[in-house]
Amino acid sequence: MKLLPKHFCKFAGVFLASSIGMSQVHSQDVLVMDSLATSSRSGIENSLLGTVAGLRVKSWTGTSGIQSIINLRGLSLDPTNDSALPLILINGVPVITNPSSVTGINPLSYYSPEQIERVEIIKSIDRLAAYGVQAPNGAINLIMKGGRTGPLHLRASASAGVNVLNDFDYRKDAFYDFNTIARRKTLGSGSIVHEQNVLVDGGGDYGSYLFGLNNYSDEGLLKSTKFGRQSLFLNAKYHITPKFTAHFYNNLALTNRDSRYAGEYNRDLPLPVIGDETFFMDKKRNIAFLSSVGLGYQLTPGLSINSVAGISYEGASRDLYIPSNILKGSIYASSEAYRRQLITINSSVNYLHSFSDDWKMDVKVGHELRATDNRLTSVDGARSLESGGSNYVKVVTGYNASQTDALSDHDVEQLIGFYGIGKWSYRDDLKLDIVLRTDGSSLYEKKWAFYPAIGLVYSLANTLKLPLSVNLSVGKMGMLNRPQAYNGELVAKGDYYNGNILGVGQLYPAFRDAKSVDVLQIDAGLSFRIKPSITLSVNYFNKTYSDFIYRRYTSNIQGFDYQYETGGKLGLSGFEFTLNSSWIHTDHFTWTSNLNLAAYNNKVKELPGDILNTSISHLRGLSKGDPVTSVVAYEGSQQKVIGNTEAKLFGGFSNTLRLRNLSLAFTLSYASKADVVTESFDSRYNVNAAGSEFPLKSAETPYYFIQGTDRQPVYQGIRTIEPGSFIRLNRVVLTYHLGALVKKFPSVEDVQLFLKGENLLTLSRYSGINPEENIGGIRRADLSNTGTPLPAVFSLGFKIAF
Amino acid sequence: MAIMNIKIYSKLCRLIPIVVLLLSSCSDFLTVTPDNRTEEEGYYDSPQRVEQAVTGVYTDLRRALLHNYSWLMYGEARAGDLVVDVDYLSYVTAQNLKANQYDLVQLTDWGYFYDVIKSANDVLDIVGKSDDEVLSEYQRNLYKGEALALKSTAYFYLTRIWGDIPSAEAADFGQKITGAAVIERAVAYAAEARGLLPWVLLNNDGIESASLTAIRFNKTAATLLLAQEELWRGKGAEALTALQGLSADGASLSGLGLSLGKDRRTEIPTLPLSAAMVSMPLARLNAIYPEGDQRRAALFTISATQATLIVRDQTMLELLKLSEINLLQAEAAWRSGKLTEARQFLITAAQGATEDYTGLTEQTFADALLLERQRLLVGTGQRFFDLVRFGKVTRFIPALSEAAVQNGAAYWPLSARSISGNSLSQNSYWAN
Repeated sequence: MKLLPKHFCKFAGVFLASSIGMSQVHSQDVLVMDSLATSSRSGIENSLLGTVAGLRVKSWTGTSGIQSIINLRGLSLDPTNDSALPLILINGVPVITNPSSVTGINPLSYYSPEQIERVEIIKSIDRLAAYGVQAPNGAINLIMKGGRTGPLHLRASASAGVNVLNDFDYRKDAFYDFNTIARRKTLGSGSIVHEQNVLVDGGGDYGSYLFGLNNYSDEGLLKSTKFGRQSLFLNAKYHITPKFTAHFYNNLALTNRDSRYAGEYNRDLPLPVIGDETFFMDKKRNIAFLSSVGLGYQLTPGLSINSVAGISYEGASRDLYIPSNILKGSIYASSEAYRRQLITINSSVNYLHSFSDDWKMDVKVGHELRATDNRLTSVDGARSLESGGSNYVKVVTGYNASQTDALSDHDVEQLIGFYGIGKWSYRDDLKLDIVLRTDGSSLYEKKWAFYPAIGLVYSLANTLKLPLSVNLSVGKMGMLNRPQAYNGELVAKGDYYNGNILGVGQLYPAFRDAKSVDVLQIDAGLSFRIKPSITLSVNYFNKTYSDFIYRRYTSNIQGFDYQYETGGKLGLSGFEFTLNSSWIHTDHFTWTSNLNLAAYNNKVKELPGDILNTSISHLRGLSKGDPVTSVVAYEGSQQKVIGNTEAKLFGGFSNTLRLRNLSLAFTLSYASKADVVTESFDSRYNVNAAGSEFPLKSAETPYYFIQGTDRQPVYQGIRTIEPGSFIRLNRVVLTYHLGALVKKFPSVEDVQLFLKGENLLTLSRYSGINPEENIGGIRRADLSNTGTPLPAVFSLGFKIAF
Repeated sequence: MAIMNIKIYSKLCRLIPIVVLLLSSCSDFLTVTPDNRTEEEGYYDSPQRVEQAVTGVYTDLRRALLHNYSWLMYGEARAGDLVVDVDYLSYVTAQNLKANQYDLVQLTDWGYFYDVIKSANDVLDIVGKSDDEVLSEYQRNLYKGEALALKSTAYFYLTRIWGDIPSAEAADFGQKITGAAVIERAVAYAAEARGLLPWVLLNNDGIESASLTAIRFNKTAATLLLAQEELWRGKGAEALTALQGLSADGASLSGLGLSLGKDRRTEIPTLPLSAAMVSMPLARLNAIYPEGDQRRAALFTISATQATLIVRDQTMLELLKLSEINLLQAEAAWRSGKLTEARQFLITAAQGATEDYTGLTEQTFADALLLERQRLLVGTGQRFFDLVRFGKVTRFIPALSEAAVQNGAAYWPLSARSISGNSLSQNSYWAN
């Protein structure tokens, strides 16, 4: 019970009493997982790369277990941070999505693509508004596989492959400052990736069941590192009575990630000699659990009540030891544990009514509770070996209090939402959705905010005999503004009177007007069925984000350093094109394809006045209309926008071809009109020594950054501004269905052998390895924000179903 | 089966009132008290917590005076009496106070003094709002008196260092007020504090504590502050009146020192007068305290090249010393035209000096008093302000000409933050 917040018991009553069901908001794009060329890399997002217009998955690092950057019409003041992530749901239940800072392990790596039936990608406002402040940046709902009718089925699959370091020659060897010898010592081809899955399922009048297990391991390109996952899962539906159903879903995953020092943490290796890491230890371990229980009761044919409760839990721990040979005479050890939990309860009453054969109504009224509770505990200490001792001291003893830092941090956030979703339809011609939601958040004094949306879809198929449908929607959502600042905060200033009395005082004053970011979204779209087998859809959206929270640094007579305020306005708009086609469909040969393209543009619409005295002063070089993803650098003494790190065009192209028993599926992804700014390895000068002018080098750009601290500012020169455009052959799967074997053994449903290749070819003019490898689009001189090289992965495997 | 459905249905219906009840507790659910930080709302609900706020003002003052050895930089270091082993000292002794050096720039910023005023005003608010169940009459008077005295101290430093400054009071916040108006306010705060503060403070057990009194404002310390401020604005008679109350019971008199300890926000020296950092060159020592002056050995540890200060109590930095009472009385009497009394006070103060002060005249008294203040108050940071008050800056600091002092050279320049954040302009000396 320690895992449960004190409010949980109270609300368990709500869960039992009221009805429920997950808020079944209809999605826009639905992907059937088994039909996709899935990825061998951990992380579900990698299998979705390039499949849906507007879903941007940036493979920024090759380190296994790390989350790729996921964006679905998302924007924030800092576009690289967690707040731009879409809401991720499993069977409609929100789950912890962002990686914890302790282990960095991707929560989307807790599931194998083999567990997933389909993926719903939700982008339009009339569908997102039902999630209120939870989904300002889109939502992705993973529907897990369930049991099929029959006493028992067995599905098993296994694959094994190798990671290959490709495209890495000395001319492109920007890693480790062109230190090729060091790079060879830390990176290498030939490490193994393997995965095994077993799923057992069945179903009947009683309901259905599915349980299974999964094992995954990836040794990675970086030598002496690896990532692994073991998971057990259960998906059971039980008909307690014909009208009363229960749905249980559980997934327990253990993940581990071992890291190394050189090449992962220390990226700008000055010497070809890599220190002995025999005694280095960095072990990261996560235990993740998702459990949900859903109850549904059909009161009358038109009226039902549903309730779903979910617990998403993650325990992350890290043990780090850095021996003295690496730290040049000191040893450092730390242990961190981070426990995160997200409890949600969603209850609703659903009423279906037919006014006539033509007019139908579907109304849902419900409420949702969301409780987040995160606790971090960490201890770290360093010890010098000045007084002697071995270079390799594995056991750390004898820390005293002054050498050890201990920290415990606790973060609680509560949310309540009430919603009403009304859907009206007239034949197949007209669909009208109206969503009203109000959300109360513990972050603000004025707790409640109202989020309405309306959407309309009109099909011209009947009236004008045109295979065209038009959709239009408009509405408002919110994005939570943190931290909780409405009561003001006190700070411990210092000890006084022999350290007996603590002096306290105001850190910042109360911010009574704290509220969520308002997100206003407009969608418009056309869907045109060119032929029965070819559909083209075009969607336009426009989002405006207003009133972000930031710190305002006060004048030096105020007596406090800063206060919070809200302001600023950003815009994100774009077109999304999707062409789904089934070009050929015969008994022996089929060819289907999906082409998707998104053209996005983000811009600053309004910035706070006197921005220099705010915590978002890094945006001071931007003017109205500039992308918020711009890179701003100095030229002479002036600030200037020198590039935009976000691609304006991106998308994917997937094809599936089947010839008799042989099928080939491949996915290309592409992005263009993004700039990559690379810092110079040589032009780095102490400002105090260099003077007021940056010493320009002729071989480099005239631009530079100012970094370092106020006390010791540093000029950092910029070597190049390069195009980050690319086309990548992302995934290729060649599958052979052993039809003959199936015929011979009637109990065998299907046997497949497959050969998978991933990240096989990248066409780009970027001078590094991977045009997406830099978080924020800037390759720092110390490679601190740059991912490790993406491996090409070749694997061979089989699937068998009984 | 139908019966079973009805049973389940009726059981669910029975829970509906519970649902209604639980929904009504939304506001409880949505009120989270964070336990990873302390919210201001509702915090000051006990005398101990109000005392923490009062202590916060002292730590603010400690940071204002100790960061970068600022109390010496504004005082003896700028006047050239003491040497502090920091690399920005050379700019200060050369009176090059606008040099682009990080620590020196920080010294030109008055933000930490305004923190003291803000925190003191917060304490006044807290005390004003707290009811009798939280604070006793003694505590109410003490905390209010301390806040007023600390605020007075901050304004006094501000106007001595920068001259005309913006107000930080609610009535005219941000408005520039003249040095004369600032000192008038400081005097009013100190006078009110003197009326409220006890001679000796009580510890948590309700027992009079000399050690606690020594590091908190008390009636003596508030009187010393008031007298200094009165003298700064040239009111000798008022200073003399204020000081008269001090001679009643010598045993209960206590100066004020800043208790030393760790500041959680910034690095400040915990041994501010340590021999490793602060010293006086031997030549300077001999010039100030000639051989034979009996106080040399009591005040300094003398080596072949330099003298370092003897700190009697390592746990605090003395700011208002009891040894200043006679000096202040001497000055107050002298400025009130009572030379005979003034001479007597000075002679009492200067016991151990080689000089014979019995023959001091109106013309020679000022120099003698200034010299004794220099000798007795070394390490308290007052030297430069004394030079200003006595009109002797040019004589002791040849780098500053009379015209320069007239233009404002004796003040410190305003930092860029002070100018840009408060719509101010640099004074005419430092503007060039």
